[in-house]
Amino acid sequence: MKVLVVGETVNGEVQNITYELVSCAKKLGDYVTLIMNDADVSSIDGRVIKVNAGEPNPVYYKIVERVIELEKPDLIVFGNTSIGVDLSSQLSTNFPIATRVYNVKSSKNLKEVEVRSMAYGGKVVVVLKLRLPAIVVINAGSYDAGEGMGKASVEELELKYFDIDDVEFLRYIKPEVEDVDISKADVVVSVGRGIGDEANIELAEKLANLLDGVVAGSRPIVDQGWLPKTRQVGKSGKTVTGKLYIALGISGATEHTEGIKAKNVIAVNTDKSAPIFRISRFGAIADVTELLPVLIDKIREIREK
Amino acid sequence: MKVCVLLRLVPDLVEELEISENEVVPFQYIPNERDEHAIEEAIVLKEKLKDVTLDVVGIADPDSADEIDEGLGFAAAKGADKLYKVILNRQTFSRVEIAKALADFLNDRGYSLILTGVQAIDSFAGSLGGALARFLNLPYIGGAVELNLNEKLYVKKELEGGISAEYRLPLPAVVGVLSAERPLSFVPFTKLRQAMKRAEIEEVELEVPKISGVELVRYETPPEPDVLMLEGDVEEVADRIVEVLRDISVI
Repeated sequence: MKVLVVGETVNGEVQNITYELVSCAKKLGDYVTLIMNDADVSSIDGRVIKVNAGEPNPVYYKIVERVIELEKPDLIVFGNTSIGVDLSSQLSTNFPIATRVYNVKSSKNLKEVEVRSMAYGGKVVVVLKLRLPAIVVINAGSYDAGEGMGKASVEELELKYFDIDDVEFLRYIKPEVEDVDISKADVVVSVGRGIGDEANIELAEKLANLLDGVVAGSRPIVDQGWLPKTRQVGKSGKTVTGKLYIALGISGATEHTEGIKAKNVIAVNTDKSAPIFRISRFGAIADVTELLPVLIDKIREIREK
Repeated sequence: MKVCVLLRLVPDLVEELEISENEVVPFQYIPNERDEHAIEEAIVLKEKLKDVTLDVVGIADPDSADEIDEGLGFAAAKGADKLYKVILNRQTFSRVEIAKALADFLNDRGYSLILTGVQAIDSFAGSLGGALARFLNLPYIGGAVELNLNEKLYVKKELEGGISAEYRLPLPAVVGVLSAERPLSFVPFTKLRQAMKRAEIEEVELEVPKISGVELVRYETPPEPDVLMLEGDVEEVADRIVEVLRDISVI
């Protein structure tokens, strides 16, 4: 099987998802990676086609389309990222597609692949067969990035007479000024919908203070304006890497769990089937608004001794 | 300027899902949260530009046709001008098939901007926005968290790791909204009831074409997590969490 990896760059840097995709492709057969930026691609393992197009742009699906014509891959793999979804979805009118994929298996006849997707907020695994050539969009964290690193053999490709100006990249927007950097905190107390009400964030703050930690949250909490964007954990927010992550009333969709790399995770949720428990070391079935006052009192007592 | 927002239903994950090999049956459906953000962002645009006409197209299949009405009622209460209920003639998990059916409906309706939520929890075979844009031959961008119009459309798009970027597109265009630039506005029950009484919903049936290449093998329940559950009532759970915090030297 021949696999085309559609790699990603941001600000001229190859993104980690690229190496993960290469790692996936290596397990399936021959592979080549497409990079659409003048980035340093030397650490991508294997053959790399470099088209110096610019910063990430949804309209670059036209470049991918052209490279598909040239390379004739059986499988095209994208990352389940903001730009990966833009590109793959625009190509899906011509190729069978599976998204939110975490495992790809080739078949003996090389006419199809079987993929496993995590859908319904992580509550259902979907097994699909795709007729080749096909597109798969792979979740970050599904493959070992280290296996995709190595020595690149780079080919520059110039595409002439090419109209890609209907969507223009203008600029990167710097993140808001941060009061605290949650990615560097050792203890993160994080809240999701289960916190119930904005007023209850104060409980999470009390717990965080007692543990010398910081408060963070999932996307719905930030969308509600209950916490600033700088406190968002997950795919489009920050990745936490400290000693402890306490997930309070967070269901644990893939978009959130992609941002959790803490050594220990304690999850509290009323839903015993919440996907957050799959990435947790410790779990408890409880209503966080009932648990937090009790837990805070107990820790405060210990601290005051 | 005519703006259209697509509103889908998704399973309510707060309730249990019935999972068998060939179907996932939810207890109930709710409006897709990202589509609700797309409606909110369209309302924001309406407030910014004044001359925006907003159509909201609710998408349902015969099983969920009644459940879309409340979502459309919310849209009307927030300021939508015209409501459509598109009933797909069959259920499909393929977003590409739905995109093709919708493209046939939306084509030639004169929309300058078509907004859709960038994702839905039950999508695993494609994403609606990009496929729709291709079928309509329009530019597409997803991950939008802010829209502004000044001759062209300016889109703030979220990338990963807290980084965003600004893009410029000509209109007409299709945009996948990740979140509105402000929290979803609250609609009091009385306002919703009034809107639903007043609302005229135009019902349209659409045939979903078959596009081959993706076959469902089965649905599965994920394996049991490898997690140590701290059992007991609230007091006991709190005690056990304290023990864990001590064991890992946090207190």
